[in-house]
Amino acid sequence: MHRILIIDDEYDIREVAALSLETVAGWEVMVASSGAQGLARAATYQPDAILLDVMMPGMDGPATFRELQKNPATAHIPVMLLTAKVQATDRSRFADLGVKAVLVKPFDPLSLSQQVAEILGWN
Amino acid sequence: MGDHAASQISEAMNRLWQKFLPQMEERVGTLKGAAAKLATGSPLSPEEQSKAGAEAHKLAGVLGTFGLTEGTDLAREAEGLFENPSLLDSAKVARLCSIAERLKTMMASRV
Repeated sequence: MHRILIIDDEYDIREVAALSLETVAGWEVMVASSGAQGLARAATYQPDAILLDVMMPGMDGPATFRELQKNPATAHIPVMLLTAKVQATDRSRFADLGVKAVLVKPFDPLSLSQQVAEILGWN
Repeated sequence: MGDHAASQISEAMNRLWQKFLPQMEERVGTLKGAAAKLATGSPLSPEEQSKAGAEAHKLAGVLGTFGLTEGTDLAREAEGLFENPSLLDSAKVARLCSIAERLKTMMASRV
């Protein structure tokens, strides 16, 4: 069973994404509501992948990603950014960080897990 | 994905919609209040502008997940308008007011 960590400050997004990944794909999901909490959970939980929101108060998604990369315990974990920004320039800037993919919100709860699985080669 | 999982998701999404509706209505209320203030000719404070833009951004990110794709489009438009409200002419301020009303109606009619 795959294990996913969702880091997002919006609890509605966390709940819907968790519902989707657990119910549709049967994956194990853990959530974090901030970048700092996400860093700690990633290190201890060792998920197979991380869904990371871009716009969060305090440590935002890109800053959280950079911290994940600095830590040898989490640097290997593939990260997909979640963003409601749709401008190509924004998405290109996020992709340049070195993340595995940039997923656009809103997402379809019925197909989110399929999208993630395809990106990570889990099919 | 089987029909059972799709049905489970649909039912759970409806429950989550009811759970999150008050917060989403509050977000629309923030947009509406900011638009109404602009309509009176008063500028938004930096905090009000930032909050209105952030709430529009959050609505854009979530409404489509609940099937309200038009809501996401409208919220994105509002987010763009709130980026520099001091440059908005009266037609654009009226558009912001209209978006807030439409979002409210749309959310109230989702079952």
